[in-house]
Amino acid sequence: MRVPESLSRLRYNYVPDHLIGEILTKRWADNLVPFLLLAIVVTVFGSAINGFFSPASLIDTTRQLGEFLIVVIGLTIVMLGGGIDLSVGSIYALSVFSTVVSIYMWDLPVGLAFVVSLLTGAICGAFNGFLIGVLRLRAFLTTLVTLIMGRSAYDILIIAFGKQLQMSPVMNDNFDFIGTGSFLGLPISFLIAAIFAILAHVVISRSRMGWHISAVGGSRRSAYNAGINVRRTVFLTYVISGLSCGVAGFLFGARLSGAGPGTGAGLELAAITAAVVGGNSLGGGRGSIAKGLMGAIAVLVMTNGLIRLGYGTGSNQLVLGFMLALAVVLDIRWAKNRHKVLAEIYVAPVHHRMSEGESALPNSGGPYALNDRLSAAAAIARGEVEGPEDVILDEDGNLYAGTRHGEIVRWFAPDYTRQEVFAHIGGFPLGLAMDRDGSIKTCVGAMGLYSIARDGTVTQLSTETNRSLVSVVDDARLRDPNDCDIGPDGRIWFTDSTTRYDAHDWALDSIESRPTGRLLVYDPRTGKTRTVQDGLRYANGVCLAHDGKSIFIAESWACSVHRYWIEGPKAGRMECVIADMPGYPDNINRASDGTYWMAWLGMRTPSFDLGLRHPGFRKRMTRRLPQDDWLFPNINTGGVVKFDETGRIVATLGDLTGQSHPMVTSMREHKGELFIGGILNNRIGRFPIPGADPDWTSWKSYWGTAATTEEAR
Amino acid sequence: MWWDRFLDPFRGKAVTIPPLDGALRPNSALETAIAFAEVDRPAAIVAQADRLVVASHEDLLAIRLDGSAPRSIRRFDGRITALAAFADGGLVVALESGELHCLGGRQDGRVITRLGDHKLICPTALATAGDHMLFVAEGSTSASATDWIGDLMRKGASGSLWRLDLSDGEATELAHGLAWPAGILVEPDHSLIVAEASRHCLTRVAADGRGRRAVILADIAGYPANLSRAADGGAWLAVMAPRNRLVEFVLQEDAYRAEMIETIDREFWIAPQMTSANSFLEPLQCGGVVVMGVRKPWAPARSYGLVVKLDGLMRPQSSLHSRADGRRHGVRQVVEAGGALYVASNGGNLILKVEGDA
Repeated sequence: MRVPESLSRLRYNYVPDHLIGEILTKRWADNLVPFLLLAIVVTVFGSAINGFFSPASLIDTTRQLGEFLIVVIGLTIVMLGGGIDLSVGSIYALSVFSTVVSIYMWDLPVGLAFVVSLLTGAICGAFNGFLIGVLRLRAFLTTLVTLIMGRSAYDILIIAFGKQLQMSPVMNDNFDFIGTGSFLGLPISFLIAAIFAILAHVVISRSRMGWHISAVGGSRRSAYNAGINVRRTVFLTYVISGLSCGVAGFLFGARLSGAGPGTGAGLELAAITAAVVGGNSLGGGRGSIAKGLMGAIAVLVMTNGLIRLGYGTGSNQLVLGFMLALAVVLDIRWAKNRHKVLAEIYVAPVHHRMSEGESALPNSGGPYALNDRLSAAAAIARGEVEGPEDVILDEDGNLYAGTRHGEIVRWFAPDYTRQEVFAHIGGFPLGLAMDRDGSIKTCVGAMGLYSIARDGTVTQLSTETNRSLVSVVDDARLRDPNDCDIGPDGRIWFTDSTTRYDAHDWALDSIESRPTGRLLVYDPRTGKTRTVQDGLRYANGVCLAHDGKSIFIAESWACSVHRYWIEGPKAGRMECVIADMPGYPDNINRASDGTYWMAWLGMRTPSFDLGLRHPGFRKRMTRRLPQDDWLFPNINTGGVVKFDETGRIVATLGDLTGQSHPMVTSMREHKGELFIGGILNNRIGRFPIPGADPDWTSWKSYWGTAATTEEAR
Repeated sequence: MWWDRFLDPFRGKAVTIPPLDGALRPNSALETAIAFAEVDRPAAIVAQADRLVVASHEDLLAIRLDGSAPRSIRRFDGRITALAAFADGGLVVALESGELHCLGGRQDGRVITRLGDHKLICPTALATAGDHMLFVAEGSTSASATDWIGDLMRKGASGSLWRLDLSDGEATELAHGLAWPAGILVEPDHSLIVAEASRHCLTRVAADGRGRRAVILADIAGYPANLSRAADGGAWLAVMAPRNRLVEFVLQEDAYRAEMIETIDREFWIAPQMTSANSFLEPLQCGGVVVMGVRKPWAPARSYGLVVKLDGLMRPQSSLHSRADGRRHGVRQVVEAGGALYVASNGGNLILKVEGDA
């Protein structure tokens, strides 16, 4: 069945498929499943139980939630650090006992009783932590042992002192207030739990200790190599877990004003289920307090709900067991396959139709007809340079180019056989521009806009622009800064080609053809970068017009060149200068005769153009074929095209043999010669331009008048 | 199993192709072979006594085994699509128009246009037995014999295999429903092995055409063309183009394929070719991008050079390759003569000579 093209255009251009992939790249995407589960549990039990949402019922639930949540948070922290704590139930029970003894037998004030409870928890936790963190015993077995030991101790104690406690004449109003009182309509225990949760969240996500815990849980060895004290960190997680049990035990003691034989029994199962169901990974390293919170609410609502529906403890434990099993399976499958799912669904192509336009075939007779003239270019640094995306020359004729090793290399005039690393940046330098003071401004792939002074000092100028309101990916960061040019006022105009792919995946953006490229401007006076134009299909080359009043912008996947006015009556407007070329434009630079050079990084092919009109075809292709087999635009053939102010094509230079310059991403005219770079090439071409002004240099063309004034001084 | 039908919608839909492994492990034997003669687009090659007879467009050329320049034997009205030699020195030449011309030998001058009641329109391969038995493969009932790619991309499977007794003119259809039969090998027991190009397999057909056809070599990593007998009793299989995941994928994509066939020139299709990377309008796949001046030899390609040596049971034994970064692609036919192997590389415009036991 053939779907009409207009329908497929509607389907693929207006249904935002790309958001699924973008959401999956977010860390919080892990929370979606637990959140859904929580919503389902609350809805199901809320509708099955009469009065579930009544204030009295909610207050009772939140009171219990307070204690339970604190235990779950402690356990979450242990799990985040790569461990497990089965002994929470026993520690909890012991804390309850110590609280009750402090109040009813020793008649201590509430504050001291709280400290006693905390101490009990901390000592038990430290015992676990010492065995597991310092002696490096296995967490599971060790805490199983402490669970049994703690439970036995509690059983002995409660039998020995149970009667005395019950007979105690002590009445402590403050203690009772904590157990049953409310503040602003919320139970005290819940408020304490909320404060505890916020504190824990800040510690885990914002503090050095929290980061250490996540690092140790993610990879002990890497954490150790990074200089983290692994033993202390693990020890601390168990102490925190013990302290949490202490807090929770104190609150429980206050609520029930006593302790019984069953206190804290089975708590470990409920707490582990809550932590895992919330989405905290059993393997460590992945998890958050918010996940613990969601899990705790879901488990508590469910267990309470089951009890109120008349099911006993047995079926309750059974359901918890099933939930835990399911969550563990999902956790493992998800952790293992998340990147596969993401890789498979990330590419979300849109429909794009270009007119056939003129041919670039050598015998076509049109203005674009390519030739073999570039194959005669002399090679500079053949086999020594890798990926000179852009090239530039200074007034002394020295040649600069970025390489894929993250360097800007300088070759010395006049023969360019001697070279040195001019500056090391770390990212792949793409577009280059030379400023009035001779410093080089460069767009560095996946990093941002940088400046390199004449002595090679690297300065970061900009790494972010304004964040747009409606976008899932963080479009404030510069993902693929590509080419830049400098206006007469010193502002730097540059492009960020796409918000969807990193710089090294630039060619994948062509398969998607989604217009996410942007034109940005950096103002050195304020140090701020602003987005001035978006919605470009791979915004690429930028060049200031000879009169300095507008800039030319290449839109690669749309095979178009636009002009953006920076001053004059049309300021702030963009108009198309050349549309539907047979090649994909890259950098644009000034030519000595008042026209402009434009590089073609590749050629349109009929098969890819047809693919652009069949987004479903491309989508299925990216899902069913390995990337090496995907249909690409032809980036094995490029060329250099010269156009004038009106967009008329004046000349073309090509290398159809593909031997020297299969793809061209930049060219720079200097004293009658053209220097040619290519992002996938291993050389810089040097080509004499017949009839070109032998004295013209790009720097003079931009800053010539200033230079003369400088000399005059 | 029957339940696969119900489970398939839930399974992954990865497009896979057989790997070049085992006996098909890549080498550069064709790239380094001697360029024996330059011939424009050789489509078929047979050996006769001390010479090779090669088809190039409309021309029938002779090249002496001692290495003289190609000499034209005869020029026909249409392009030559297949050749075969009789034991008595006679030649049969198949033309694009569907005519079969006999040249030399007892049948000299005879022109065959019909096989019984059947008008021949697409002769793609010939084979002989004795001095009067001729086997003819017809690639398709609709396409021209030079239009295999068109037939493949339309998923054609209307080829047939015929036996023609030149002594009494009796023609018998031995098999039909073949997916572009591109090569015939007569076995000692008079059964026939047919290379079905578009189905990437070798099929055995009984001498009288009765009984079930049996696939004896399936999942070939390319599109097989002609078969010829090797001196040791095995056979040489010319593989004219590689299988490519993107092509297999396009074969599943009906809307795209239909529009591609309709609107795009054939040489720029996403389809196998005898030669590729000649024009910037050809499709490019990610793996084929030239990086630092290098095209990966293992890049997915639309053309490839491959000759497979089969043993007597038609199992692959060894192979000769010209890989994605090479030019000697599109091998249409191979012939063993005078202790050497001569390879007609259609895409490379060459007759290659491989000496010794390759």
